Amino acid sequence: MDRVKIFKLILWIVTGLGLSAAIARFAFGLGVTTNLSDTTPWGFWIGFDVVSGVALAAGGFVITATVYIMRKEEFHPIVKPAVLTAFLGYIAVIVGLLFDLGLPWNIWHPVVQWQHHSALFEVAWCVMLYTTVLALEFSPVPLEETSRYAKIRSFLMRYRLVFVILGIMLSTLHQSSLGSLFLIMPFKLHPLWYTPILPIMFFISAIALGLMMVTFESLFTSWLYRRKAETPLLAKLGKAAVWVIAIYALVRFIDLGARGALGYIFAGSFESIMFIVEASMVIIIPLILLSIPRTRHSLKGLWAASLLVVLGIVFNRINVAGLMMTSATGSHYVPSLSEILISASVVSAAVLAFLFAVEHFKVWERKPIDPEAKVEKLPEFDRASNTWLGRPEVAARIKYSLAFVLAVAVGLMFWPFDRLESRGIQDTPVVKARGGEKLIINGNRNFDLVLFKHKMHEDTLGGKESCVKCHHMNIPGDKESGCWQCHADMNKYTDAFRHDWHASPSGGNLGCVKCHEPDQPKMALTASECNECHKDLIPPGAAIKVEDYTAPGYVDAMHGSCVECHKEKAAALDKPKLPQCTTCHDQEVSDSINQAIAAKHEGRKSPWVTMPEIEEN
Amino acid sequence: MKAILTDITKCIGCFKCVKACKETYDLPGDYPRRWTQNDGLSALNWTSIVIKPDDHFIRKQCRHCIEPACVSVCPVGALKKTKEGPVIYDNDKCMGCRYCMMACPYGIPRYDWDQRIPYIRKCIMCYDRIKNGQQPACTAACPEEATIFGERDELIAIARQRILDNPGKYYQDKIWGEHEVGGTCVLYLSDIDLSFLSYDRKLDNEPLPHTTEAAMKAVPPVFAGMGAAMIGLHWVIGRRMKREQENKPKGGSE
Repeated sequence: MDRVKIFKLILWIVTGLGLSAAIARFAFGLGVTTNLSDTTPWGFWIGFDVVSGVALAAGGFVITATVYIMRKEEFHPIVKPAVLTAFLGYIAVIVGLLFDLGLPWNIWHPVVQWQHHSALFEVAWCVMLYTTVLALEFSPVPLEETSRYAKIRSFLMRYRLVFVILGIMLSTLHQSSLGSLFLIMPFKLHPLWYTPILPIMFFISAIALGLMMVTFESLFTSWLYRRKAETPLLAKLGKAAVWVIAIYALVRFIDLGARGALGYIFAGSFESIMFIVEASMVIIIPLILLSIPRTRHSLKGLWAASLLVVLGIVFNRINVAGLMMTSATGSHYVPSLSEILISASVVSAAVLAFLFAVEHFKVWERKPIDPEAKVEKLPEFDRASNTWLGRPEVAARIKYSLAFVLAVAVGLMFWPFDRLESRGIQDTPVVKARGGEKLIINGNRNFDLVLFKHKMHEDTLGGKESCVKCHHMNIPGDKESGCWQCHADMNKYTDAFRHDWHASPSGGNLGCVKCHEPDQPKMALTASECNECHKDLIPPGAAIKVEDYTAPGYVDAMHGSCVECHKEKAAALDKPKLPQCTTCHDQEVSDSINQAIAAKHEGRKSPWVTMPEIEEN
Repeated sequence: MKAILTDITKCIGCFKCVKACKETYDLPGDYPRRWTQNDGLSALNWTSIVIKPDDHFIRKQCRHCIEPACVSVCPVGALKKTKEGPVIYDNDKCMGCRYCMMACPYGIPRYDWDQRIPYIRKCIMCYDRIKNGQQPACTAACPEEATIFGERDELIAIARQRILDNPGKYYQDKIWGEHEVGGTCVLYLSDIDLSFLSYDRKLDNEPLPHTTEAAMKAVPPVFAGMGAAMIGLHWVIGRRMKREQENKPKGGSE
């Protein structure tokens, strides 16, 4: 089969699958079809469809400026495809946005509800106006000279320069304003990307992307239709791109240096790796490839450079639009299948529209040979259904429609409907402790990892029915309860013993076993006695009895050491009143004791109790 | 401007404020969903209590910034800062772009992710009650006066007095929300570090809308300048080409 046919068939199938995802998106809402969340409200759709989509369509204004403003007439053959790509690109952006907006039927609101302080408002207006301008710029192509719309065509041709200049003005604004969108997030966006000159950065990189996108598109269509590529012309674009990319690199690194963010590049973090990948794709490799004249004039060199820059700047846009915010927001986001399918189908539909346009209008100097429009071909016969499909182009239409409809059906069939029941924390089912009965957990959410004995906890808490004691405590997004939620006495101030004073010299969370038995629950009862460490705590021959000295509170300690002795003496001396409260405490004190007890029962910190001086009997 | 002052050292974690909020706005019961965060806030929970070790209960709610980022980024004016203090939301104006959620430094606005017709949801400081001279449901419900309502200046004075009366009690003797991002209408006094309430651990005192302002102000001059530059360039290059053609001997390219 012809490669055009196969390619179109694939595009129709992807569009069909995307349509099924789109149906699900509108039927069930954003929550179950996407992986967007409260911490990641903008995902792949904004990063790729909108922010990258607009940048990918920058070829339109770059090439029209080259031809009509710079008057480089030699680039004339690529003006029409560039404008067409831009026009379809913007339509794709708007369609893509319709899926992302929660209330897409309100997309016209920026037209009437003016908010001049919002960057998004400005982008909305610019995209709206520029799409109109692009439509006017491109419409002379379908309105061919011989048609009955010739008058409109000549009118549009006469004011072409006005449209071109308007287009450049609008493009300058919104290409840069897409960068301004993220100026308000200095607290989220990683310093390798956040800069006050983000709009300028976006504008320069959009020009580079425009040049390379036109190159890529020309190379791709020439491969698809087996045309001869305009290599000398593309090499010139490549040479221009070297300058633009060099300026971009210069601005990028001077800015990083000025903000003192260069150090982050070698920090070894996720962000620094992403930055190095991005910089190699956008700056380093293309600059090398394109500055060598031999590779610049070769098809392979152009392919590599254009693909790298296109993918690299798309990557940059995705990074700025959310990926490099994930460490600040602490969120984990991977686009769902529905998100990717819908994006892919919007792109596929735009490519199909592009192919339709080049096959039917004079976008290029010479129309490509339409594989379905060969008149001499015989009507096609479908052996499977035993029917005549008709003329080749009709047969092709039937095939594409069938592929499309089947793709929609298959897409709907395999749509993960269980996502609809995503009640509760679907993502964190309770599983057997992985890798044995011990786990290393971030128990107190302070990233001091501890060895956690899952099996021991399960057994002591009551076997299989005990799961809910730690898991599913209705704390949103939390997989399991923190240690301190059960070990409530942990880190708590007691009257005589301050746990944190002891914990940190013992080695934080790793030091628990220094006082608590390794296989026992960690609580006051199982702690080792004070005098095991503090050998000099009790002087030899002291009257205080310390057999059961397990870190009592001050009150208990005082009682323990006095009352026991009083009891002995009461028996020995026959003074029954000796161990009673009033022997040591007078009436006023009992109030403060009551207060302390009451406070303890409320679960609040007990105030320090000052004991009265004990009167000599 | 009205404000709320929450004193973490006074809060006993009884959740009466959360309950009052849910009752006032008739919000149905909530359960953890894929898209909710770890802080208890959601489209159905406009205020929540974050429990931190050692009996610290931190009530989380919209901060009602004096110069709110969410209001400044909204392309359709669905969010509005009222003169009374609350930042309120208009269902009918919203188009669902969620830029406010992206722009909020505290990550407060939440979305009706499970609805076919979703809206932004967040605390509106009981705007209707405030207009009628009442106080918000949450502060009215607090049994310990841990969270109180009043004029912002007066609350700051009260907070200062508490810091003066209890030296060393409060973390860095700081009133959280007095200056950050240009000041907020929900203030906190705390004995622990509250920087976890915002995405960035060190929020600037500069109001966030100022970051975009310079870029937005540059829009008209850039637009006009680019137009003028293009017309000029077109004319200059055109003239140069004409001259070259005239100077060329006959039989040139065209």
